[in-house]
Amino acid sequence: MDRRDILAERPVEKGRGFMPGVSVNPSRVLFTAGLTGRDPDGSLVSGGMASQARRTFERLQAILAQAGANFGDAVKQLVYVTDLEAYNASGRPERAKFFGGARPASTGLVVRRLADPAMLIETELVVDLGGSRQGAPLLEKYNAEKHPGDFHQGVIVNGGRLLYLAGQVANNPDGSVAGVGDWRRQAEKVYENIGHLLRAAGATPASVVKETTWALSIDSWRQHGPPVRRAFYSGDFPASTLVEIPGLARREFLVEIDVIAAVA
Amino acid sequence: MTFSTIATPEAKPVMNYKMGTRMEGGRLLYVSGQVAWDASGAIVGKGDVRAQARQTFENLRQVLRAAGGDLKDLMKITTYITKIEDVPAVAEARAEVFQGELPASTLIVVKSLFHPDFLIEVEGVAAV
Repeated sequence: MDRRDILAERPVEKGRGFMPGVSVNPSRVLFTAGLTGRDPDGSLVSGGMASQARRTFERLQAILAQAGANFGDAVKQLVYVTDLEAYNASGRPERAKFFGGARPASTGLVVRRLADPAMLIETELVVDLGGSRQGAPLLEKYNAEKHPGDFHQGVIVNGGRLLYLAGQVANNPDGSVAGVGDWRRQAEKVYENIGHLLRAAGATPASVVKETTWALSIDSWRQHGPPVRRAFYSGDFPASTLVEIPGLARREFLVEIDVIAAVA
Repeated sequence: MTFSTIATPEAKPVMNYKMGTRMEGGRLLYVSGQVAWDASGAIVGKGDVRAQARQTFENLRQVLRAAGGDLKDLMKITTYITKIEDVPAVAEARAEVFQGELPASTLIVVKSLFHPDFLIEVEGVAAV
């Protein structure tokens, strides 16, 4: 393996469940969707944080296994919780059972709401698959289980060049905000901006690997965003995460979308 | 250069950051969300977002250096803060740290970070 764990050798960084940094040779990289404690029928498991965390990591394990990887290959984790005390008390111990001594780079956030109001935890991973490119050219999108959502649970980048876009908001080229108070217009403008940038980089909507949607209201986003999003991707969806947060950089912004793509 | 910058007149940034970066070589480095603690784990600048932002970016720099790089190698940063009122102070601290244009950037106001005293957390992706 070509992974390097980056420890800045300061006391604060010792003995934690994560590494300050992890670097890899990006020949084959897997991006997972944000996974949650849902059962195969789509309902949330009962039993609170411990059960939801266990189910979340079981599902991630299945996605990793399908790519021939395990938690030790994770480069980065992003853990979203809605209740930090519950996570510290009963989510962390469940996570530890799956990760063991593996230490990815990590970010943890307390957000206002996840896809379902009763959801307590969501986790996404970036995973180093190592080796040289193989399988489908450039992008391999897959699901480890059936689900009705407009996303893939895992997307593998096979030897492409990664493209990171700034979080896109509904701003016009002159700096003004498009669609103040208008979810539909902001959704359209955000995807217009993403489309312009992808084109400038030699990519298309099908090149998108991972998408994170940060919305001030998941309910409002669901009313107005999905038709715009479906038209943009034409059925060729990335791995994705949807999170409700209390604010963005300007009060006029209702939604911000982060995109990672890959080009040959 | 290990990455190139993506720009188009049709989609411009709202502040002084790159709209996109494309990795062209080097190693892919993911840096954990950095917060304002010192080497011993004590919080720097409790209640002071500007002081926390400076310490956070310094910590980010330390990790990049340990990986053989520096702030200039960042393709993308995501800044998480807990109050929208803190945007101007954070923008000023960032401008002190980054000479010229910032990496591709996302700024999100979250409910809280993983300790109630943390006012800012910044994670990054770099090509080193």
